Amino acid sequence: MTEKNDFLKFLKSSIAVAALIALTIAAIFIATPPDEKHLYQASLLKSELLRAVPSPRIIVVGGSNVAFGIDSELMEQELGIPVINDGLHVALGIAPLNEIKHYLRPGDIVIISLEYYNFTDEASFYGQPQYLADWVEFSPERIWYLHEPYKQMPSIFTMMLERKVNRQLNYYLYGFSYEAGRNFYSGDLFNEHGDFIGHLGENSNKQFEIADSVYPINLIEDAYVFLEDFNQFALSNGATVFYEAQAHRQTNCERTGKKHLDRFFNRLKTKTTIPLLTNLDQLCLPDDYFYDTPYHLNAAGRRIRTERLIDSLKIALGLE
Amino acid sequence: MLFNSFHFLVFFPVVTTLYFLLPHRFRWGLLLAASCYFYMAFIPKYILILFITITVDYFAGIGLEATQGRKKKWILLASILANVGMLGFFKYFNFANENIAAFANFIDWNYPIENLSIILPIGLSFHTFQSLSYTIEVYRGHQKAERHYGYLALYVLFYPQLVAGPIERPQNILHQLHEEHRFEYQRVTDGLKWMAWGMFKKVVIADRMALFVNPIYDSPTGHDGPALVFATLAFAIQIYCDFSGYSDIAFGSAQVMGIRLMKNFQHPYFAKSISEFWRRWHISLSTWFRDYVYIPLGGNRAGVRRVILNLLITFLLSGLWHGANWTFAIWGGLHGLFVALNHFIEPRWIRLRESGFAKRFSPALDALSLLSTVGLVCFAWIFFRASTLSDAFYITTHLFSGWTTFVSQFFRLTQEGIRAGFWGFVSGLFASLNSITELTRSEIALSVIALIFLLYIEIKQHRGDFLARFNLKQPAIRHVSYSLLIVIILALGTLYTGVEQAFIYFQF
Repeated sequence: MTEKNDFLKFLKSSIAVAALIALTIAAIFIATPPDEKHLYQASLLKSELLRAVPSPRIIVVGGSNVAFGIDSELMEQELGIPVINDGLHVALGIAPLNEIKHYLRPGDIVIISLEYYNFTDEASFYGQPQYLADWVEFSPERIWYLHEPYKQMPSIFTMMLERKVNRQLNYYLYGFSYEAGRNFYSGDLFNEHGDFIGHLGENSNKQFEIADSVYPINLIEDAYVFLEDFNQFALSNGATVFYEAQAHRQTNCERTGKKHLDRFFNRLKTKTTIPLLTNLDQLCLPDDYFYDTPYHLNAAGRRIRTERLIDSLKIALGLE
Repeated sequence: MLFNSFHFLVFFPVVTTLYFLLPHRFRWGLLLAASCYFYMAFIPKYILILFITITVDYFAGIGLEATQGRKKKWILLASILANVGMLGFFKYFNFANENIAAFANFIDWNYPIENLSIILPIGLSFHTFQSLSYTIEVYRGHQKAERHYGYLALYVLFYPQLVAGPIERPQNILHQLHEEHRFEYQRVTDGLKWMAWGMFKKVVIADRMALFVNPIYDSPTGHDGPALVFATLAFAIQIYCDFSGYSDIAFGSAQVMGIRLMKNFQHPYFAKSISEFWRRWHISLSTWFRDYVYIPLGGNRAGVRRVILNLLITFLLSGLWHGANWTFAIWGGLHGLFVALNHFIEPRWIRLRESGFAKRFSPALDALSLLSTVGLVCFAWIFFRASTLSDAFYITTHLFSGWTTFVSQFFRLTQEGIRAGFWGFVSGLFASLNSITELTRSEIALSVIALIFLLYIEIKQHRGDFLARFNLKQPAIRHVSYSLLIVIILALGTLYTGVEQAFIYFQF
């Protein structure tokens, strides 16, 4: 057999194998839809709000500290401006901010409240791939909101495939239910503004032991560059950006050290032109205001934080 | 660059396509450039270290061929010193310094030398040994000196085996690099099959075992015997699949281009003695130490004491070759001890096996030999995997603790489960495992399924040329099998956990 014939035979086999692989993967993707109650199911609601709510509007964005800790209804009542809670999960990093860019309109007010955790390293800031894979699964065009879409695309889709297979296997092995892995973090426990409300009402009486962890603050330089770019983009589109500190638990604040927290906010002030809404004297909230983690406020904490945010916004927007 | 990265998924087809498109006279240049790029994906400046040793060895090789007598020995010594000196500086300086400092502290001496903040060049031990084998073989007259600098550089830098072996001999590789290799369907596809199989072992099995092993070995003091034993067994599987997986990918990717590397593994856990284990495990390193250390020391030809000493020296050096840490030295020392004991026990054992009485129990005795070999190997793995000596001692002294609780809980939960039917039994089984691992049920189930599949293929390969027999099957069956294997690699890897796992042997 000549070299040319060998090569043609190889080409034919490769095409056959590639087609079979593509068919099998497509079958897995079609046969394994996203978990309907996954926490990220709420991201579809948030995207829809970003698309449909008329401007001017207030968009609060961050991780779960925003999802759990903002009362959008109260804000809307007090400020007379529609409010979208675009907080979901810390591991998504700034991917939701990139999504907001797509929907930003003149008059919009964006309040960024990222977790300190996001500033520890690049993966935490730009989003952790395995969580981004879940986020993209709900809306594949979101791949374009990732930091480096072309570079990340193969790994994100491979992770998505792996996560689908694992989720399905766990479904069978946990007695045909997803509930074991979900706990109360359910995608259907968000209100029409995008606030998580699964920890309110009857559930608010639950008691959790919260770890006295240190807030990791590493101050990666890229983070400030990104935030300032975002701010300039918003300004050029007639929108306004503010920064609001994440919900802080007193014990965790103490363990982290005031020095480190001050350093973070000083850096934010010097490296970006984004106005800070939080009064630094009220940075840390009593431990009693927290629900199940050092980031998630309970009903009382949520109310206090929202009231303080409303007061700060009224001053910042000249509404008083 | 990692074999299990998307970077390599682009790199490999591009380099291979260019390789076959280019005329033969340019191929060495392409492979050398590609190999440099492959290496420089880690820490670019360290490529200079390789070129320094290649240059020294290039001139040493020519010098060795042109001279005789004392001068020849001096040239060899200079080459060895240049190679070993580089290895010693980067790999062992801080280790030696720390030990001297600890000793100085013990005798209240104010020792002034600080550790150096240097990062170990990736795969340094591998390419140093490969370089050494070149000058030694030229010195011994088994290999002609390479006059083409590019080919010698390619011999050391050839990307499939650059960072984790196999540690090749010049007699096997250099002439293959010079030869022209045409595109042959069977050879190319067989190479790709080896690569896919290696990838399966790495990303589906080894990385999955790591999810179980790492939490326990990273902080062993919180765990009892059952968790420590299971983690050690899982590590034995992990390191085999990790390293032999790497070797299969290296073997396959070289074979695609027509270069046949030596096989580094021959189903080592089927060995029935420690000596046999070392004839099957990391063959390129064990034969390197045999040829260049053990035999020159006197090998088996000397008296009993000297043989024991030779074995201990060889295995201690082999342990330290892996890592500059006392845990590796003890790992090597233990194997030296096991092999020395085996050296004296094996002839008696064989005589016993040949007696009429023992022949009747042959399968049982085989199983006993195999299990005791695996047991000893696993015990030694504890020292290989443990981060510190104190961790290793904790593990070895707690292997038998906590079993009563685990076993009674296991029986209670599974019996309770059986009463609730099949899924109740499954739940009981998983619940009993929760005391030793926090992995999800799918992780545990996939591990078991993947291990059964691995064992099946290993047995098939052990019994004969599995690949040759598989190649005789209908094309449709083969194509579906390859597709499924690739889908399994993509779908059942552990990327989704967010932990990217480098090959274990890259650190050496």
